[in-house]
Amino acid sequence: MKPYSITTALLGFLSTALASASTETQSSKDNLPGDFKPPQVFKNANLVHVISLEKNYVKEQINVLVQNVASEPQDEYYLPFTAEQMARVGGFEVKDRKDANAGPFVAEPVDHASLDSVQYYRIRFPTPLKAGAQQTLGISFYYLKAYTPLPASVAQDELQFLVYDFSIYAPSAYPTLKQKTEVKSWSSAIPGYTKIKDFPTKQGAKLTYGPFEEQPAGAVSPAQVRFEYEKPVTHVAELDRDIEVSHWGGNVAFEERYELYHRGANLSTPFNRVKWVQAAFYNPPTHALKELRVPLQVGSVDAYFIDTIGNVSTSRFRSNKREALLELKPRYPLFGGWKYPFTIGWNSDAANFVRKTATGGYVLKVPFLEGPKQAEGVEYQQVNVKVLLPEGAENVKFFTTIPESSIASTSVGITKSYLDTVGRTTVTITARNLVDEFRDRDLIISYDAPLISTLRKPIVIFVSILSLYVATWAIGKVQVGFQPRK
Amino acid sequence: MTAKSQDLLAGVTAPKVRTLLRVVILFFIAGAAVSSRLFSVIRFESIIHEFDPWFNFRATKYLVANGFYKFWDWFDDRTWHPLGRVTGGTLYPGLMVTSGAIYHALRALTIPVDIRNICVLLAPAFSGLTAYATYLLTNEMTTSPSAGLLAAIFMGIAPGYISRSVAGSYDNEAIAIFLLVFTFFLWIKALKLGSMLWGALCALFYGYMVASWGGYAFITCLLPMHALVLICMGRYSTRLYVSYTTWYALGTLASMQIPFVGFLPVKTSEHMPALGIFGFLQLIGFIQYVRSAISGRQFQTFLVTLLVATFGLGLAGLVGLTSLGYIAPWGGRFYSLWDTGYAKIHIPIIASVSEHQPTAWPSFFFDLNFLIWLFPAGVYLCFQNLRDEHVFIVVYAMFGSYFAGVMVRLMLTLTPVVCVAAAIAVSQILDTYLSVKVPIVDETAASSTDSAPKKAKGGLRATEKPNVGIFNNLSKVVVTGAMTIYLLMFVTHCTWVTSNAYSSPSVVLASRLPDGSQHIIDDYREAYQWLRQNTKEDAKIMSWWDYGYQIGGMADRPTLVDNNTWNNTHIATVGKAMSSREEVSYPIMRQHEVDYVLVVFGGLLGYSGDDINKFLWMVRIAEGIWPDEVKERDFFTARGEYKVDHDATETMKNSLMYKMSYYNYNTLFPSGQAVDRVRGVRMPDQGPVLDTVEEAFTSENWIIRIYKVKDLDNVGRDHGAAAAFARGQKKKKIQKKRGARVLRVD
Repeated sequence: MKPYSITTALLGFLSTALASASTETQSSKDNLPGDFKPPQVFKNANLVHVISLEKNYVKEQINVLVQNVASEPQDEYYLPFTAEQMARVGGFEVKDRKDANAGPFVAEPVDHASLDSVQYYRIRFPTPLKAGAQQTLGISFYYLKAYTPLPASVAQDELQFLVYDFSIYAPSAYPTLKQKTEVKSWSSAIPGYTKIKDFPTKQGAKLTYGPFEEQPAGAVSPAQVRFEYEKPVTHVAELDRDIEVSHWGGNVAFEERYELYHRGANLSTPFNRVKWVQAAFYNPPTHALKELRVPLQVGSVDAYFIDTIGNVSTSRFRSNKREALLELKPRYPLFGGWKYPFTIGWNSDAANFVRKTATGGYVLKVPFLEGPKQAEGVEYQQVNVKVLLPEGAENVKFFTTIPESSIASTSVGITKSYLDTVGRTTVTITARNLVDEFRDRDLIISYDAPLISTLRKPIVIFVSILSLYVATWAIGKVQVGFQPRK
Repeated sequence: MTAKSQDLLAGVTAPKVRTLLRVVILFFIAGAAVSSRLFSVIRFESIIHEFDPWFNFRATKYLVANGFYKFWDWFDDRTWHPLGRVTGGTLYPGLMVTSGAIYHALRALTIPVDIRNICVLLAPAFSGLTAYATYLLTNEMTTSPSAGLLAAIFMGIAPGYISRSVAGSYDNEAIAIFLLVFTFFLWIKALKLGSMLWGALCALFYGYMVASWGGYAFITCLLPMHALVLICMGRYSTRLYVSYTTWYALGTLASMQIPFVGFLPVKTSEHMPALGIFGFLQLIGFIQYVRSAISGRQFQTFLVTLLVATFGLGLAGLVGLTSLGYIAPWGGRFYSLWDTGYAKIHIPIIASVSEHQPTAWPSFFFDLNFLIWLFPAGVYLCFQNLRDEHVFIVVYAMFGSYFAGVMVRLMLTLTPVVCVAAAIAVSQILDTYLSVKVPIVDETAASSTDSAPKKAKGGLRATEKPNVGIFNNLSKVVVTGAMTIYLLMFVTHCTWVTSNAYSSPSVVLASRLPDGSQHIIDDYREAYQWLRQNTKEDAKIMSWWDYGYQIGGMADRPTLVDNNTWNNTHIATVGKAMSSREEVSYPIMRQHEVDYVLVVFGGLLGYSGDDINKFLWMVRIAEGIWPDEVKERDFFTARGEYKVDHDATETMKNSLMYKMSYYNYNTLFPSGQAVDRVRGVRMPDQGPVLDTVEEAFTSENWIIRIYKVKDLDNVGRDHGAAAAFARGQKKKKIQKKRGARVLRVD
């Protein structure tokens, strides 16, 4: 009874969501002229900008009370970014601060003809805002590759400091009446930050700029903060995540290939093993990456951790009823500027992820992103999720709760492996600029797998082996010698 | 008829059932052969072992990625920097092409198998085929139905063969032993039938063998030797003529297709016996023809003249061509086959390889167990009915034994004949003692207690054969029981040897934690992976040649020297850089554009295969080229001891290798307690000082230490001065020294 109700609920969810998912993401962007300026139809009545430097990516939150100053109802709000920021921004989400049930607003980057000028994200209100009315928006997004270490190289046992450049005034395409900017650092040790008048006020690890009086649209005041960061700056340039569904095996196999970098301060003197061993006794905080902990879905089995030259023996996998935790230790501690590509994989019972629907189809629900869960966070520049459905699966529909603006492309294709004849239906989704805070987002795929396509492979194998036997028998009957055999 | 067979097994003696049983048994044998080689995969992982296999693996990857023609023309600029290596023309491509073909076949079936797994499992798969080939070969020798099966299982699990064919041991021998045995089988078949078809097949597999392993010379010499022995025994026949000439002509053509072999079959002394016998057979054929055409007296004169003339001409031609340089004299490795001390004196690089050492006698028993004492018995049985094929076994046994005694690795070529001979012996024993036949006793004799029970009733007494056989149950039980115990012990021994001696990948070391769980020491891969990920793509790595293939395969970085020891001078250069003072080594390293130096140091862990223990070979090889600059004697103390502690000689202490091995090592221990666990000595308090290189990476257990070669000093000082200046700013001691120096100038 319970699975049934869940599936129906899922299906209902799907049907509403599929409309948006099936359209091509790129085509939804409009091409706007190079000198595009957002119409001045809003003003920001009050704005709080929170910049969180607590992880190795930057999370920015802009909570803003917008007011429609035009005479007609408006439904498009623009947020400006520089072209350079545009390449690094990701996970762009907008919520209604007053009404939590309103769901995320549709937000997307606007295709802009010129590269050097300001670019925009467009936020669409679900219902147009009436003239003079107000709306509270909670805009959140992330910057990847946000920091530069200063000094650029430090010794193995020295402290690491990072620098972040930002603008004291929040980016806005509209005039802002009142605003405040908060910067939260990883540590309270902030040896350097920009001072403007008698701001900021420092309270522990938090710097507060403002409140400021009215600022015109596009006001910028460059600022810099340099703070201590005794954590690795982990950056995944590319993550390939393959999910293979097997109905015959009753198994879902996961494999993830990471291209991992440490973007922190480089070593000023080469790695010294003696110091490293001696430091290990009292275990001080270090900016080297020693361990990655990957919590997997409960019920995961057969985990492995390999790299280009084979198994990495320094991993542990605990799997029990409550957790399935994969603890990875790279072959060597990772310091700034170093690189470590690796692969992990595991299996899981298909029953944990695949449900059969009442109509005879299947629904697969897997996390869009798993990967390490670190206190300091992990950022992903590009994530390629590839889902291999059973051979002959058709009528494929998919949906994900990842912010739509992060999805770069989607496609449905064919992959041939393991004696396939027609190939497996493959869903490929490429997302850019994600962070590990999206670990709990799902990918839902519905598909049909008719009986004939399930039986195709055994039949094909049986027939080919049979024909092989027949061919061998027939060839054996051919007389090749000069004399007939006795 | 004096015996009748009991009808116990009547139901299964039908030929078809027997065939089925044989097929099933052969499959089981192949299964046993394969599975006994999987210890290392189960215990560790699917990984390429040791040193040479890493090159073969890298070459296979290149072949798979770039295709056959590119592989043929492959010039590898990532080895032997700055010389490079014409890899496509200096390797035996059989192994790589075989696994490449398997890879593409599986891909065509859309089976996504990693090329590494094919390479790892190729040797076990071929060992199953080897068992089958041995079965075929043995069946040619004897009529006993059990000998072939016994030989197959012996071959399948004999440690002498397993040593080179465990999973991951991706070396030429992996397929070559199968080809060796199968070529011999085809040769015997061709010889027995006098068939050109079988001779051509033999040539085909000989060609495959040449493409796979340098050990093909063993076939090239053994077949002519067999032919010669047959001729000397007066057993010349048209069968021999047909099979030998077919094999030689086609086989030599086939072998010359391999670029690495090229014209060697007509130019080097190793190949001359085959050519000589080929000519000799033509002569004999001609003489046979002449004898049938002319009278006996004329024939005598003709024969003597012809033989003397040919022999004289042939010898003169051989000597002349050799001295003129058309035919290469015997190579160094060949001399070391005749004189085991040769290499030690003249070619240290060959002597430095452990598998080129003469075999110690226990290793015969270790590798072959009870087969080794059954082997002479089997050879003796071959003498009993000495047909042409038995002569082959005898000849093979003699040569194989000799070579196996000279060089450890040639135990491999001996193993097949030992298995065949031992199987013949065992099957003879079993056939004799396990026979369920009982003598038919005449009824009259049974009733009487007369001592002569077999009284002829009719016919001649002489026509009646005596009753020969073992009919006493006790002796049957005792002998077969003993044999069974030996067989069981053999299986236990093989499993034990395989598991303990031959299944270590040597890239990964295993140790036990106090709680009994396995702990993997993975320093090699840690360091290689570090090199691969965190150095420039074309950073040149200098290390001793043992690690060249591994660095090429795992770290993917150019190396100066590797296990393809084709250029002794280049290796000696590296040896000189390692064994000289820093001031001498640095220019050498700069000239060779070395970026990193890699040394293996086992002192912390007690890993005895480290560079300090190999150091004397580096010194010897360097001394061979620069006897004035590097002297082995300087590395020994006055009492002739090889020391690394306080008593080490100045030359030793100042050598780059010593410094790099022990740099910073003393700081790991409390003052004065640094211990080298391999040499078991206490190290000096003051560690060595390095000026021209700096420590770049040291692996977890210090097995691999990587040093970066410093760039030239910015202000033109030499490195010693620059380093002293840098130290002088921190330490006062050296400033005092400087003061003293100033005084002396005054």
